[in-house]
Amino acid sequence: MPEKPENRVERIVSDLLRGRRLRLRAGDAEEKEAITAAARFAAASQGPQRMSPAFRRRLADILESTPRETWLTRRAAMIAGLGVAAGALAGGFVGRSLEPGRGAALRAPSSPVLPENGQWTDVGALADFRDGSGKLVKAGAVGAFVFRRGESVSAVSSMCSHLPCELWWEGKSGLLECPCHPVSFTADGKPSSASYTLPDLNEVKARVTDAGRVEVLGT
Amino acid sequence: MVELPSATRATDIALDELELVYAFIYARVGNRADAEDLTQQVAMKAIPRLRQGAPASAIRGYLFATARSVLGAFWSMRLGISQAELHEDLALAVPQGPASDEAAERAQRILAGLSDNYRRVLELRFLHGYSLKEVAAEMRSTVGAVKVMQLRALRAAAKVDTDA
Repeated sequence: MPEKPENRVERIVSDLLRGRRLRLRAGDAEEKEAITAAARFAAASQGPQRMSPAFRRRLADILESTPRETWLTRRAAMIAGLGVAAGALAGGFVGRSLEPGRGAALRAPSSPVLPENGQWTDVGALADFRDGSGKLVKAGAVGAFVFRRGESVSAVSSMCSHLPCELWWEGKSGLLECPCHPVSFTADGKPSSASYTLPDLNEVKARVTDAGRVEVLGT
Repeated sequence: MVELPSATRATDIALDELELVYAFIYARVGNRADAEDLTQQVAMKAIPRLRQGAPASAIRGYLFATARSVLGAFWSMRLGISQAELHEDLALAVPQGPASDEAAERAQRILAGLSDNYRRVLELRFLHGYSLKEVAAEMRSTVGAVKVMQLRALRAAAKVDTDA
């Protein structure tokens, strides 16, 4: 059932009032005027804003380093376990090529994440994972969503296959959603929308040990 | 011979200008995480220009042009629509001074153009931080009705903003 417009906007208002990032979904554009107005009111409610000292230092570091050193590829971000900031960063460079579904490169098949000198990392007991529900785990620098199916598990990268943005598990829809653009992925890493022709999420190797522990191949 | 500013001095000038950019962006996205990401994008795009050690006045226009472009791309990507379909008016004047309370002043102007009920729901929710339940109690209404009123008030606020 489609989300009612008042609920759609309340979800966004509620996030903004909690200081959270704007997480928009497919269909939110129908209320674009109300959403941009809500963002402005949220800003107004918090008064004039200045950069935090930590962010100012980060910008100073960027300005004093060479651009190439700060240019992160999606894969580098995935291995380094970086999230949305890297997405925005890459977005600044590639501009129009950010739009999914254009260009053959975006349709290339995804390969598994096989870190150099990778090691199996214990991420919890099998009993801690609910059947059919995605759970975000970290295996060193590798982030993954682990899915339990009975006595076995599978895992996909927690990074969107398009931008280096960390996905989140939306229990209601049963999908992994991207905060950077209106795309989502099924538990097996396939994009859920035919209109966004993205590659599958990278597979992450996961297994269940004889002792009933879940392990993920990380760093 | 013209003496070029040191890297640190140029960085300081750039950071002071980026403070204005950050406030400008924050006033439009309403949250710190997105404002930081977008300001960082502006900084990176502007690095070649900033490194020339140009005076603040010369780089401000460039930074704000970049900020508008980055904001346009942000809304376009998040909403999944083309920039031509964006409602947001990004062709705004470049601020001349340090971070001001532009967002609050603008919000007050917009609120003044709304009907009493719409103004009240937005004031309670955004300026006083009331929950939906608290707004409903204050306005002797229901949570469901307040949600609908909030949506209509925001739509009306967007229209007042456009017409202003």
